[in-house]
Amino acid sequence: MPEEIIKLKNIRKIYRMGDEKIAAVNNISLNFNKGEICCLLGTSGSGKSTLLNLISGLEKPTKGEIIIHNKHIERMNEDQLAKFRQKYIGFIFQSYNLLGTLTALENVTLPLIFNKVPSKERKERALEMLKAVGLEDRANHKPSELSGGQQQRVSIARAFVNNPQVVFADEPTGNLDTKTTYLMMDLMIRLAEKNKQTMIIVTHDLEISAYADRVIYLTDGRVENIKENKNKITSSAELVKDGGVTNEKEA
Amino acid sequence: MSSFDMISMAIRNLWKRKLRTFLTVLGVVIGTASIVVMISVGIGMNEGYKEQLSQMGSLNVITVNTPWEGDTNSNNQNAVLDTKTIESIRNIPGVEIVTPVLDGWLKLVDGRYVTDISVTGILPEAMDALGYKLVSGRSLQEGDGLDMVLGAEVANNFYNPKQSWQYRYDGSNKIEINVEEDRFKITYDQAYGQNDADKSIKGKNVNIVGVLDPMGSDSWNCIMPLNELESINAESAKAQKASVSSSDGSSAKKGTYQMVKLRVGDLKNVSTVQDTIKEMGFETYSLMESLNAMQETSKMLQLVLGAIGAISLLVAAIGITNTMVMSIYERTREIGVMKVIGATLSDIKRLFLTEAAFIGFLGGTLGAVLGFIASKIINIVGINLGQSSNLCVIPSWLVILSILFATIIGILAGYFPARRAMKLSALSAIRTE
Repeated sequence: MPEEIIKLKNIRKIYRMGDEKIAAVNNISLNFNKGEICCLLGTSGSGKSTLLNLISGLEKPTKGEIIIHNKHIERMNEDQLAKFRQKYIGFIFQSYNLLGTLTALENVTLPLIFNKVPSKERKERALEMLKAVGLEDRANHKPSELSGGQQQRVSIARAFVNNPQVVFADEPTGNLDTKTTYLMMDLMIRLAEKNKQTMIIVTHDLEISAYADRVIYLTDGRVENIKENKNKITSSAELVKDGGVTNEKEA
Repeated sequence: MSSFDMISMAIRNLWKRKLRTFLTVLGVVIGTASIVVMISVGIGMNEGYKEQLSQMGSLNVITVNTPWEGDTNSNNQNAVLDTKTIESIRNIPGVEIVTPVLDGWLKLVDGRYVTDISVTGILPEAMDALGYKLVSGRSLQEGDGLDMVLGAEVANNFYNPKQSWQYRYDGSNKIEINVEEDRFKITYDQAYGQNDADKSIKGKNVNIVGVLDPMGSDSWNCIMPLNELESINAESAKAQKASVSSSDGSSAKKGTYQMVKLRVGDLKNVSTVQDTIKEMGFETYSLMESLNAMQETSKMLQLVLGAIGAISLLVAAIGITNTMVMSIYERTREIGVMKVIGATLSDIKRLFLTEAAFIGFLGGTLGAVLGFIASKIINIVGINLGQSSNLCVIPSWLVILSILFATIIGILAGYFPARRAMKLSALSAIRTE
């Protein structure tokens, strides 16, 4: 029996637009297992980003319960959420969101700084992480001196550096070309599998869903369909071997 | 987030916007420097007063008088300076030494020549403590007998009593005498040496040990041990009684005095000691009292000067707030990202407060240095214009206080922007493209 690390119970998020109420997330109940790679797939406006924001505590649900690691996210105040994110959660954004004043190494160090890891240890861990994403020779470059793919590598290193239980990725490959997309996905999946981390990826890109254990289709704030991915790949190399087309059909 | 990380990150953020940081710091520099200069002018003024007054005598000395008999306001009509009272004055905390003060009018004799002197009798061991300054010789010391310290002008006022009955101030009967080598006598007989003098009254040999500085003391006043003056006065009274059968009551009961002087060890305690003695029903006087009155008047001026400086620092504080608010607009996204990856509310707040405090600290430090240089220049200009003492005085506490003050101003100015940064929603912050 796999351990359920995230539990969503009847969550709802309603936005008011003038007099009109719009349910961006409408009564969704979902569970995510430890070590599971899960894709939230949907068109824009389907509520997939809102759902991610709710699970990660960036937004409060109008109704429902969100339990991560036995803790009620929806009941936490901002400081508790900050502490919670420090310990259990990593984030990867579409637009990388690195701090321009800091070098690649310092960007990766940042979560450890907030977590009060001693200076020497955090530098070692950050360097190790940069090595894992293949950027150790760019450690002292500023984000502006790195390509998009390299910036996303730094961002991935930052998300994984504190060894979080759950990593959220919001359109992580949205700004990247196809080749780089596969490279990034390979990297993220490899890192997540290594430490049995749960990963929730929001995307509108079907190709990415090939990496997922489970693909959740969202439409109009509801779960439309959930598919277990039997032919899950862990690297784009398998994709070429099996022929991407077959894989896509099954998905 | 540790303080060290906080500070290094804050400095880095400020460094990124060098010009803006520099301009904001410049505002604080000018504000702090003007406060430092203004306050130092005020302190310089007070120091100047102190110097002026201390030339007139010691600031530590209090003079105590028995109340004037007609003074109905005096709360203690039977306040008497007797041995018991003097003992209780000596026991007031802070009092170093107390001496009764006795006056006498005597003639100083040098062979054929005489001069009129007023003599103050004090405990010889108290002389140094009372702040008498000498031009030559030594002060009276414990164990001195018929020894005397002359007033500065006394030696210049000798005359021949057979020719005139007093010293003429036009100098027409001036006699040159040698203080160091001549032998002197003193006598209560005002007619001594005159043709009709009572030859039975002999003077007493007196040893001149020193001469007082003309600055800050009565030029015709000599100092001698209290007990010697007391016995001379007693002889004088006895002689008077023999000739005139009435007592003028000037020499009061033995062991009571009209005046007492005392020294307080620490300047800070002078006013308290003085108040205590006033409560005992005596009239008191000290240079400290005059100094306090002078400083009270200068306080108003200092307040105005300080306010001018404070206004410029206020403007600088608004500059800090403005800079920080702008910085938050620019860094909205950055703040959002930091929140998402685990910065707590207090981390964000402290980061911005640290930046504001650093601007204040830097401005305060540079401002103190600038103020220091400015006041040195003012002093040099002042001395060239004929000022005897420094116009500005900057004590070390002022430097430390101004840096501290500027830092606190920075923190206060940064408080509102920091709260604003703290309250930014992480989600809307990272959405800002």
